[in-house]
This record gives sequence, structure tokens and C-alpha cells, in this order.
Amino acid sequence: MSMAPMVITRRAAIAALAGSGLAFAAFGPRGAKESVAGRTVIDYWEHWTGHEGAAMRTVVDRFNVSQDRIFVRYFSMNLIDQKAMVAIAGGDPPDVIGLWNFNIPAYSESNAIMPLDDLADRFGVRRENYAPAIWPLLTHAGRLWGVVNTCGSVALYYNRSLFREAGLDPDRPPRTIAELDAFAARLTREGKGRIDRLGFLHTEPNWWRWHWGYFFGGSIYDPITGQATAASADNTRAFEWMQQLPLTYGADAIAQFESGLGNYFTPQHAFLTGKVAMTNQGPWLANVINRFKPDLDYAVAPFPVEERLYDPSRPIGLLDCDILVVPAGARNPEASFEFIAFTQQQDQVEFLSTVHCKNSPLASASDRFIREHPNRYVRVHDSIAQSDRAFHFPRTRAWPLYRSEFDAAQQRMWTLQSEPADELLLLQGRVQSELDRLADRRRARAGQRHARFTGHPGGPAREFGA
Amino acid sequence: MRAPRPTARGERTEPVWTGLLWISPWLIGFVGLVIFPLALSLYYSLTDYSVLEPPVYLGADNYRHLLHDSLFWTALGNNALYAAVFIPLSTAIALAIASLLARPMRWVSFFRAAVFVPSLVPIVATAMIWLWLFNSEYGLVNQALRALRLPAPNWLKDPNWAMISIIIISLWQIGRSVVVYIAAMREVPRHLYEAAHIDGFGRWGRFWHVTLPMISPSILFNVVLGIIDAWQVFAIPYIMTEGGPGRATYFYTHYLYDNAFRFMNMGYASALAWVQLVLILALTGVAFLISRRLVHYSAA
Amino acid sequence: MIRPDTSPPSPRRAPPIASGIVLCVLAVLYAMPLVWMVFTSIKPEDQAISTPPVLLPTPAAEAPRFASENYSAVWNDPSVRFPLYLRNTLIIAALAVSGMVVSSAVVAYGFARVRWRFRGVMFALVLATLMVPFPVVMTPLYSIFRSLGWIGTFKPLWVPAWFAYGGGLSIFLLRQFYMTIPRELDEAARLDGCGHFGIFFRIILPLSKPALAMVALFYFNYVWNDFITPYIFLNHQDQFTLALGLQLYQSQAGNTPWNLLMAASTLVVAPVLLLFFLTQRTFVQGVAAEGIKG
Repeated sequence: MSMAPMVITRRAAIAALAGSGLAFAAFGPRGAKESVAGRTVIDYWEHWTGHEGAAMRTVVDRFNVSQDRIFVRYFSMNLIDQKAMVAIAGGDPPDVIGLWNFNIPAYSESNAIMPLDDLADRFGVRRENYAPAIWPLLTHAGRLWGVVNTCGSVALYYNRSLFREAGLDPDRPPRTIAELDAFAARLTREGKGRIDRLGFLHTEPNWWRWHWGYFFGGSIYDPITGQATAASADNTRAFEWMQQLPLTYGADAIAQFESGLGNYFTPQHAFLTGKVAMTNQGPWLANVINRFKPDLDYAVAPFPVEERLYDPSRPIGLLDCDILVVPAGARNPEASFEFIAFTQQQDQVEFLSTVHCKNSPLASASDRFIREHPNRYVRVHDSIAQSDRAFHFPRTRAWPLYRSEFDAAQQRMWTLQSEPADELLLLQGRVQSELDRLADRRRARAGQRHARFTGHPGGPAREFGA
Repeated sequence: MRAPRPTARGERTEPVWTGLLWISPWLIGFVGLVIFPLALSLYYSLTDYSVLEPPVYLGADNYRHLLHDSLFWTALGNNALYAAVFIPLSTAIALAIASLLARPMRWVSFFRAAVFVPSLVPIVATAMIWLWLFNSEYGLVNQALRALRLPAPNWLKDPNWAMISIIIISLWQIGRSVVVYIAAMREVPRHLYEAAHIDGFGRWGRFWHVTLPMISPSILFNVVLGIIDAWQVFAIPYIMTEGGPGRATYFYTHYLYDNAFRFMNMGYASALAWVQLVLILALTGVAFLISRRLVHYSAA
Repeated sequence: MIRPDTSPPSPRRAPPIASGIVLCVLAVLYAMPLVWMVFTSIKPEDQAISTPPVLLPTPAAEAPRFASENYSAVWNDPSVRFPLYLRNTLIIAALAVSGMVVSSAVVAYGFARVRWRFRGVMFALVLATLMVPFPVVMTPLYSIFRSLGWIGTFKPLWVPAWFAYGGGLSIFLLRQFYMTIPRELDEAARLDGCGHFGIFFRIILPLSKPALAMVALFYFNYVWNDFITPYIFLNHQDQFTLALGLQLYQSQAGNTPWNLLMAASTLVVAPVLLLFFLTQRTFVQGVAAEGIKG
């Protein structure tokens, strides 16, 4: 392979490769270092991508033309809650971050974000502007840590055509868990160890693996006592119910079926293709339906609950919201908050909520918003958001670990490696020991000086970006 | 190929500082990027430290917590299982492939390239390719298995198969050790084979009594590197399974990463790092001790 | 030892039937993943997930069009900016590779050509650092770079290379190579009044070009492939490397179709493979030289 002429051409080829590589490094495309002379520049990292991220970009653009003192640079990024924490800890934070409300305890207790009470007060961002359930999602330990970005509640979406086909009344969604099971059994199509359709699939989507107990009257964390309650009787019953599906059809057949389901924002979405007849989802699902299958005949109802809990005036459902926070070490908190306050104006909120296809977090929605909302069932989501039995993510600093442990536990139960009673008891013990450890450390810290940033032992504290 | 000892050929030994000056780039890096971090890490491991708050001294609390931390044991067990299966298996397979490819024959360079090239594929790309191949519905692997009427497992979703999947992917990337073994086999003097042939050894006998002893230093080298690499496995399971399903592929470095950068528990992560270091040193020590008895250094 | 393969050209026989079959099966097993990656990347999405799998898209004549559609979709993706990540990777690689070559060339000279008292001990330490994998020091390094104000810059990814960090094998390789250069050349240079620097620049460096190229090649490959280091030290999406970009592309909400994901993977893999085929000999010799220690 190495004749003399070959060597020369090879050399030339390597040189050409190296040369073009260096040239690309020197003159290639550059990152967005756009800025406007004489303005305070605010870096804003947002976790939304795709069309949801684009909607926020529109709001940013509107803000940038609305005044001439502040210029917001917008970056949408994935995996933001990990990246943001590492960036703040590394002394290289942005000025505004779009996070999830469950990040608040961990971020606030480790001094990663600033309390916003004073700024909110000055800019007129007040509790009474919002739906009653919203403000508690933004506060922790008595202080305000974030401002709502968008919010959404989760409900049952069911396919009316498939209901008709299975001889069910399309105007009578299941109200109790027992009904859900009965309907699902009639909707399922399977044979010879191969499933073609499931009436209901707990892992579609698999975003809230921890929340089934709430429809059985349980919860997984008690904020008053600081105890993990994953192994309560209600939760155990809920996960035994969840495990019925793989027990009935076989864990392998279920896994096989799952791997054939399409991704979320695609025409192959399981609810659109009719592979799953009922699914627990947020209002944003209407975006996927309108985009890829606008003629799908479906309806929305609060998720079924155990018989004893059924009360149509007080639905149970998950209420979640995204938040905007100002990280510790932000260069100009005033300017950061001025932008955040802009996003809280009713027309901006309703624009975002419309594009994201969510219910509005504000105390009152304009008629136009309800009338023109892309999800014609937005009222169902609204009723859940306003309900006193709406629940939200557990608010504890240990949540990242709790969640990661819960996900693993759910997978083990789902693949029939463990019995829910044992699994949840082990999980509760593990998480409780972490909660206790955090409490111990909090006490150990109580005597310590609370610096915002500290350097190394032996090194003076360093402030960045000042 | 030992470093020649300073001979007594009137070679003058030069002042120490001359040598230190020449190796100073490495020395600075060694002190600043290895020794100092290790010391710092030892200090952090005795504290509660989240970077954003000042460290609080706890004594051996983190290490005590380790003993009762079931996740630590899970990650350690997974990693030990991986190393115990992968290192012997990959050594055997690499030796087998190398012995096939060490002989000169037609198209040999093509076969060598085919085996070696996968080891150059960037780790993230490897994860993507195998995510696709192992997709249980549309993936090539299962399509082929179904065509052959064989059972098609849910590779990455099935707790019993996920670890096997990770090992298969690692086996795809053993090209480096194959090349090392080929080179070592070609260094074995021919006359030894001829002598063994005359002594009536068959093909197996020659491999067992001539090849293996003669290339044992390379095997030791690869095993030691394998031990060190096995404790660093992170990207493949992190990207492909996120340590799942149900922690079946949760590796030690993944747990370390989670503690340091997800749970912001740097003190605990440092304790994990020190345990990892001690384990690696102990295991390589054992490998060298065993090799004392087995490795044959030729007088070449 | 690094030396050209000087074995006399043996009569190249075809392999015997049995091992020939085994070899073909092996080659297929090892090559198939990459082949499948490339062929998936030139299909439209619905054909990528077809059953049974076919190698070529239908109609095959349309393959160039499908390919250009897929690759331009990846290259021009608005949220995952591969051109930018390519540039970042090249900048980091240029700085890190030059640092590694310079520092390990100098350090290896100190181990191979300067006789001093603690040389053996120090060299043992160089090899011992191989036992300290990155995860063990990643937490404290993060703290150190943080107090230097380096988090969020490229510095953590290339400055350590100038101090031969992670260069144990490079130093080992170069030292081995220097030892094969006859000492008589040094003596002659010394008579001409050269000191160590003169010998290093006039004799050792010019003769070591192939070994230096090997170190550069290996380290480039390492930087190109590295995931965990940039994953920890780079937070800003504009600063991502290709490896991070590929992972970002895969993890996007709503996920990415397989054909595009394979096109993106091909973009990341292709430069490495191209480089390998151009420098095959150097690569293989280098790997072999690392492994034959005695």
C-alpha cells in the first residue's frame, strides 16, 4: 500500500485536511455575540426548544424593541437544570434562566438563585395577579424565588373514535380507576403475545413516573414534617395497579410495544396513531394533534381517581409551571428583572400560553384567549389548575435524587423485577436517609457565615462578572 | 526493551536541576493538576461542600455514609460485574482475532482495518449508532434475529440485557488491543515455533506454550489499561440508558458525576473519587502481583 | 519499538477456507455498524424504519437527493449548530494538540537524553499518573478552574495539555523513540559546541518527525472523541464541541429521526476515519509501540 507516489499524495491529502481544518477554525462561523452598543446586555438561557423556544424568542424581540437600555441575548438549551447549576457554581452564570418549579428548593437552598421579593414588589409583580395555585409554586421557605414562565395542568386525553369502535360512549370518559381499567381492557387489541393497541399505557408519556399515588389519595412527600411518604398504603396501591399492565400482558410484550411508539412531536405519536387510546397529558398535546392530525376526534377529562375520591367539582391533577429565575452572580439583577416583569404582562403571557398551548397562569384570562385557544378543552385544564386538589412536584432539595431514585424504582416495578410494597419501602428508606442527612448538614451550617460565593480554603472569595 | 541503565562508560551524571528543567512542563502539570487536586479532593471528602456554600468540616461522615448508601453499592457492583466479564472476555476475543490476523496473507490489511476502525469512533457517535442498532422494534440487530427466528430481546430496555448490550458495544471497540497483540505475535522469534514443531506440539500447543508466554507482557499491559478504563465507563451508559433500566447500567463514574454536578454534593463526590482511586491502585497492584508469576520477559 | 515493517514480502496466500469464513464473518460484524450508519443517513425517515431492512433507499437513483436533504438539515439545524461546534472543536484541538506535542517532546528529552539522579523515579511517576483517571480529579479540577475564572471558557480543555496533562503515553512513546537515535550524534554536536538545547533542536527534533506526528495524531483523536471533559467545563451552547452537539441533537425534546441522527453521527465520525485511512501505518505502529513494553 505504500508506493512512493502514494506517499506524496497522502502527505498532500493530510496537509490539505489540516490546512482546511485550521482555516475553518480561524474563519468559521461564530457564536451569537450580537449586542447593541450602549445597552446593558442580559444573557437569558431558556430550556424551551423548537417552536416553544421560538415563541419565547418573539417575546424577547418585543422586549428588545420596547426600550433602548437593555438588550436580551436569548439562548435555548437542553438539559438546562444541570448546565445552569454547573455554570452558576463555576462562576459563569447567565442573567436570567428559564427553569422548572421543582428546581426552586435545590437552587434556593444552595444559594444558586436570588430571592426576588423586593424586585417583584417594585415592578408590580404580585400574588393577586395569578391563579391561587400559582404563587405557592414560586415560593420556598417564605420567599419568592422565581416568576412564572408558563404553566399547565395534566388531564386524561381519550380518543372518541376508538371509544365508539369499542362500543363505549364517547361523551362519557372514565371517572374512576376501576372504570379506566374496564374501558382500557375493551380498547386494547392484542394477540399471540403481540400488542397492537393499548387502552391505557402508564409510560406514555413517561414524564411523571412518581405521581400515580395522588389519584389514590396518596402523596410522596410531606412538606410539613419533611418525611418521604413513598411507601404509604395509597402509593403502594397505586403502583400495584400500575404493575397490573405488565403482569397482564407480559413485560416483554409491553417493552416491545413501547419501542415501536413514535416520539413526542411527530406524526407517529402514540395517541395520534391510535396505538394508545387514552393518555395522561398536558394541554400542549393539542399542538401535536393540530399540527399532524387535526381531524383526530378526541376529548379531555380530569384523570380518573379512586372511587372514594371522586368529586367532579374538585378534580385531582398535576399542576406544573416553568419559572424565570435570576441566578446568584448575575451582573445586573435590576435589568434582569425588568425583562422578567415585561414577560408578565397579560398580552405576553397569553401569547406564550397560546403558542405553547397551555392554560394561563393569570387570575383572569381574556375572552379572546379562551375563544381563540388552540386547545378547545383548555377549560378542563383550567378547572384542574383552579382546584384545591391540584398537586405539584414535591418541594425539597433532595428532589433531584428522589426523582432519579423514583425513576429507577418505577422501571424495576414496570419490568417486574420487584414488588411495589418492597420497592417503595426501600425507596422511602433511601430517600429519607438523604433527607435526614440534608437536615443534619443544614443544622451544621446554621452556625456558619452565609457568604454568597466562597473561594477555596486558603483563597479569598472571588466575585465574578462584577 | 528496557531503558538502558546509565552505563559506566564515563557518562557523566548531570546536575539534577538540568533534568528537572527539561521535565518542568510535566512536573508543573503533575503538581498542579494531579497532586494538588488529589489533596484538595481529600480535603473536600471530609466536608459538606456544594461549591456555592463554604465547605463545612464533617470528619469521616461522607465515608460512613458510603457504607450505608445502597446506590454506591449498586454502582460499585455494576462496575465490578462489567470489569469481571469484560476484561477476560475481551482479552480472549482480542487474542483469538489477533492470532487469525497475525499471519501474512491476502487481504489481511483489510481485515485488520475492519477490526481496528471501530475503536476510533468517537464515544458519543458510538452511543448513537448502537442506540439505533439496538432499537428493539426497528433496529438492525433485532430485525436480523427475527429473520433467523431467534428471540429478539429489548436490549436497552430489559434489565437483564442492558448490561450485556453495554459489554457488546465495548467488544466492538477492542481494535486497539488486537493491534497490540498482532504486533507482539509478530515479534515472537520463528525458531521457537520450529523447535516446538519438532517437539511434536500441534497448533494449540504452540499457541499455548510459545505464543502466550512470549506476548504475556502485552497482555498484562492491556489488562492494566482495561482495569483503569473499566472504572471510567461513563458516556455510553449515560447517553444510552441513563443508567437504567432500574439502575442496571448505573456505573461508578455516573454516580460520581451525579453527585458532583446534579445533586451538587461535591464533598460526597470527592469521597467517591478517593474510593475509586484506592480501588484502581489495589486492582492494578493485584494484576502486577499475579503477573510476576505468569509474565515472561524475554531476554530480547 | 517503532520501525517500519521490514519483513521480507512473504508470498501472500489466500487464507485457508475455515479461517477465511471466520474472518469474513468478523469483518461483517465489525464493519456493519458503520456501514449501517452511513446507509441510514441517506434514506428518508419513513424508509429508515422500514421492515425488513434494506441497504439502499428506494428509488436508489434518488439517494444523492435524500443524502443532501438529510445532511443539509443537520448542518443547518437552527438550535444545534454543527458548523459552530466543528469550529470550536478544531480550535480546541489545534491548541491542545500543539501543547501536547511541544510539552511531551521537551519532557521526553529530559527522560531520554539528560542523565540525572532521580530520572528513574520521576519516569515511574509519569507512568503512575496513568492510574489516576479523569473522574477521580474532575471535582477538584472544576473547583480549581472555577477559582481561576476559567469555567465557561475553552481554557480548561487546552491549557492542561501544555503541561503534558494526560500525556503519560505520549511521553513514553517519544522517550522510546529518542532512545533509538544514536548517541554518537549528540557527542558530535557537543563537540561543535552545542548544549542540550542545540542537540534538541538540531538533532532530536528533526529526526523525530514521525513520532511527533504520531503523538499529534493520537492526541487529536482523543480530543475529538472526548465527551466528559467538555461536558463538565463547557456550559454555554455556543461553546459546545461536536461530541456535545451530537448528544444535544439526540436529546432534543421530541427527539430526532434516526436518519438525521445517523447523518449527524456520520459527520462526527467521517473526519476521524478519513484521517485514519491517510495515516494508517502511523496509527497502527503507534498503538503497537505503546503495547509492547518490557
